[in-house]
Amino acid sequence: MDDLGSVVARRPPGYEPAGTSAAVQAEALVKHYGGRTSVIEAVRGVDLTVEAGEVFGFLGPNGAGKSTTMRMLTTLLSITSGTARVAGVDVAGDPDAVRRRIGVALQEAGLDPRQTGRELLVLQGRLFDLSAAEAAARAEELLALVELEEAADRCIKGYSGGMKRRLDLASALVHRPEVLFLDEPTTGLDPASRLTIWDEVRRINKRGTTVFLTTQYLEEADQLCDRLAIIDGGLIVREGTPAGLKSELRERRGLASDPTLDDVFLDATGRTRDRAAGDVQEVAP
Amino acid sequence: MRQTWVLGQRALREAARTPEALLPTLFIPLFFLVVNVGQAGKIFPAAHTSFLHGQGYGAFQLPSSLLLAGSFGTAALFLVEDIEGGYFDKLRASPVPRTAIVLGRLIAESVKGLVIATGLVVLALVFGISIASGPAGFVILIALTALWSVVFVGFMQLIALKTRSAAATQSAGLVFFPLLFLTPNFVPRHMLTRPMEIAATLNPVTYVMEAVRSLILQDFVWTSILRGFGVVAVLGAVMIALNVRLIQRYD
Repeated sequence: MDDLGSVVARRPPGYEPAGTSAAVQAEALVKHYGGRTSVIEAVRGVDLTVEAGEVFGFLGPNGAGKSTTMRMLTTLLSITSGTARVAGVDVAGDPDAVRRRIGVALQEAGLDPRQTGRELLVLQGRLFDLSAAEAAARAEELLALVELEEAADRCIKGYSGGMKRRLDLASALVHRPEVLFLDEPTTGLDPASRLTIWDEVRRINKRGTTVFLTTQYLEEADQLCDRLAIIDGGLIVREGTPAGLKSELRERRGLASDPTLDDVFLDATGRTRDRAAGDVQEVAP
Repeated sequence: MRQTWVLGQRALREAARTPEALLPTLFIPLFFLVVNVGQAGKIFPAAHTSFLHGQGYGAFQLPSSLLLAGSFGTAALFLVEDIEGGYFDKLRASPVPRTAIVLGRLIAESVKGLVIATGLVVLALVFGISIASGPAGFVILIALTALWSVVFVGFMQLIALKTRSAAATQSAGLVFFPLLFLTPNFVPRHMLTRPMEIAATLNPVTYVMEAVRSLILQDFVWTSILRGFGVVAVLGAVMIALNVRLIQRYD
């Protein structure tokens, strides 16, 4: 198994520590998309702080601004206004330095179907300035971590959905990132594959990597996240620990027992269970 | 440079694992060569046609087929697949110079261009066409064809990055056909009607075609050769600059 806890001294060439600070810090983050006739305000002023070592969940209905926020934090989208710092580095000011410190696994497992799993990981290592030998060794470690050794030399197009997600996760870890961004990491997976991904996320976090994940599965957020934020209409509408958010709702509503995270979500977004159908899903662990 | 080469190797693996995308780039230009020679070969007999310099009409037509082979731009379609599948974002989220993302594919395209052009010319040699400028001329004409394929795929990558659509990118590739037919494709430039001559003179493909043709039919006509290389150098630089600009502003 990969020893992620002892990797700080083995970070890739070009890596320079950014000093101690919050893993993710966003202030008044805004993203507008310009259309021909109108401007779409996808994110309208998000303030966020994720402390180093946390698993932070970012929830919201479809179109709420989750993925847009994550894409700004991972340098994939330009920032209309506001500031964001990831691993202590200004995202807009030095995007390459941010890219050296983060791992990204997006909603669609971003893989090249014509390569083998091993080739993909070695290539990713080479892109992060590892030598050929280092990249090969790192690929071997990661294939073991996500239990894909047997499929390592098969083309990715033959992988199942769960295997692709695990490989995507492994490719995001090649350079031992400080902060790992996961965009809906378990969407479309069967329950067994989902549990495997949860285990991987816990293990990665336990070894010191901060995890920022978006999800539509409230059970997932409840199981995995130390803290979470709910975004709706481009604004953060709730933020706190799962237990704290439930307890706050219980006190405010004078409920006899603790509400579920679903209730918190529905309360925060002003949705009813009927209206939320299709927006958010529950899954059993 | 290392990252460029690593991405180039990946694009070459991708091409090698998709032979079905490569075969038409060999077959269709050969088809056009056979059809064009079959239709016009008798009008231009080698013995009485001075612009053929003693060779058959196939030698005159070979440059069109070479340039057609270099104008399929399959790399741009693979780029759209990368965009649609999310791998392009994976690359953008890595600390890879944007130029490496563009140049990696273009380097691979030049290698593919070299292989395909070599295959076509070797086939032409088998069927009696000779390269008047000899082995050195052979190398130069293959290199020029490969550089043209880089220019054209650079253009198609622009469409791919702008539209992110396979259909739009594929349609843009068809722009080569008007460019090909507005050249001295069937006869030398001075034999074209005046409007066609003007159009051919304005068309950059004409100069690449004339350079390749001079190497096949004549010895080293340096003015022609340098003009051909000049066109691919200028267009290549423009395409790379526009590709890098688009990828840097990609949102």
